Amino acid sequence: MSSPLVISNLRKTFGGLVATNDVSFSVAQGESLALIGPNGAGKTTIFSQIMGELRQTAGTITLFGNEISKLSTPARIREGVSRTYQVPRPFGEMTVAENIRVGLMPDNIWHMITRSGNADRELELALSVGFSEDDLKRTPSELSMGDLRKLEMARTMATGPRVMLLDEVFAGLTVGEIAQIAALIQQMRKDGMTFLIVSHDLKALEPLVDRAIAIEQGTHIAEGPFAQVMADDAVRASYLGAA
Amino acid sequence: MNIRWYHFALWAAFMAVMFALPEFVSRGTLRTVIFANFLAIFAISWDVLSGRTGYISFGHPFLIGIGAYTTAILTKRFDVAIEASIPIAVIVTMIAGFIVFLPALRIKGSYFALVTLAFMELMYQLVQVIRPDLTGGTRGISGIQGITRGAVNGYYLSLTLLLVVAVTVWLVMRTRVGTALSAIGMNEESVRGSGLDTTKLKLFAFLFSALIAGLGGAFYAHYVGAIAPRALFDINFLFTIIVAALIGGAATTAGPIIGAFFLTFLLEYLRPYLPGAERYFIYGGVALLLYMYQPKGIIALLETMKDRIIRRSST
Repeated sequence: MSSPLVISNLRKTFGGLVATNDVSFSVAQGESLALIGPNGAGKTTIFSQIMGELRQTAGTITLFGNEISKLSTPARIREGVSRTYQVPRPFGEMTVAENIRVGLMPDNIWHMITRSGNADRELELALSVGFSEDDLKRTPSELSMGDLRKLEMARTMATGPRVMLLDEVFAGLTVGEIAQIAALIQQMRKDGMTFLIVSHDLKALEPLVDRAIAIEQGTHIAEGPFAQVMADDAVRASYLGAA
Repeated sequence: MNIRWYHFALWAAFMAVMFALPEFVSRGTLRTVIFANFLAIFAISWDVLSGRTGYISFGHPFLIGIGAYTTAILTKRFDVAIEASIPIAVIVTMIAGFIVFLPALRIKGSYFALVTLAFMELMYQLVQVIRPDLTGGTRGISGIQGITRGAVNGYYLSLTLLLVVAVTVWLVMRTRVGTALSAIGMNEESVRGSGLDTTKLKLFAFLFSALIAGLGGAFYAHYVGAIAPRALFDINFLFTIIVAALIGGAATTAGPIIGAFFLTFLLEYLRPYLPGAERYFIYGGVALLLYMYQPKGIIALLETMKDRIIRRSST
């Protein structure tokens, strides 16, 4: 069986700036891979290229053996990859249930009009990320940052991904909220989900991943078990600021 | 689709009151209501596109005008039957809606609004210059064949059209496509990030909006019997449509209807005191006050009142 996600010689330039410099890696089925690096290293740029929000200058992205480099973002999501964002992007005037509903919608206008939604699945997803049934009617303005991240997770899960990209999933969360999200990720790993995770909270990240890849200025500098990558001199020098 | 019994009860009550109206009001008032009905149709049409998706159209009279001119030219110049000219006008307006949609593929916000305004201006100039033998040039077209005679029949025709449009839009917007269009207005990138092709959704909104604008424009032309570029492609007409939708409550179906009736009667009752364009200062002031107090429009005020009554009666 082919790897769920294979990145080959990915390169992205913005004028003279090289944001992604010939990066290659793959994520195995059910694996959880950390993508680490200092601010501005190009982690989110890689996510955006995988999702098609940014087009790569060179290189290919393969999902379950299919080349997806030229597909639109919605088409890539239908192929089975979905992401969360550093700053949650809820639909501000919609309830929690409606936010999740958008993720569950078929990409077919006729079916949107003629077929009813799946309220049970909306509830199931909300409960799975830690919301209560009463939370379904709340709007994003009433939610904490932790709840907004949970909502983003629920909407991302609603699109039916087999590979999830989590961007700064612990940013702005309390210790309790981090534990809640971490438990959710662990549960999803047990269920076979494949993850690529970006986080600056290395302590929270370590138990959630099988391997790590470090990048600096868009260039792949180290790869291996998390502890080994963190001990790498180049990673320490760039990411931790140590000599 | 989340539809409750009281929704139908409200629609039925509205229909009952509206159908009984000719029994209780003068012919003059009835003619004012006819204009309110047409303004409501135009405001609903604008709202389907701009109120929902956030793509603010400043060129809606462009679409309404195409519907009106197409049916007027076909019936007046080519003796086409109204039964055929109105569907043709709707199709032509939908094609125009597709043309307005094209800039939306690349631009949004104020740039999109300005481009749509340019469409309206362009149409204003074109109908005066290109084939004035067909369009009537600056004078426009008069003596357009009517569908009905008399205020009462005209009223029932405009009311039926409004109800068909309003109920259809309401039903469609209660489905998930309505949720998706509103989601575009809140965060288009997140809609794409949820796996939905926003280009398809926006195209649907533009064509649906154009269909209503074309239908309304065509029937309006046959009701008033005369159309002219200065009246149709007019900035006051454009802002009346937009303010009707916003003052009533954007992204709702009842809002544009309420707003259209409020504005039409406000302008009509101001007429004896301010016969000129000064009336627009008053309605601008009223609109401004309403936005400051309740930006979500009259419908939100009514909902707040309803909630207060329910709370009081339960305590």
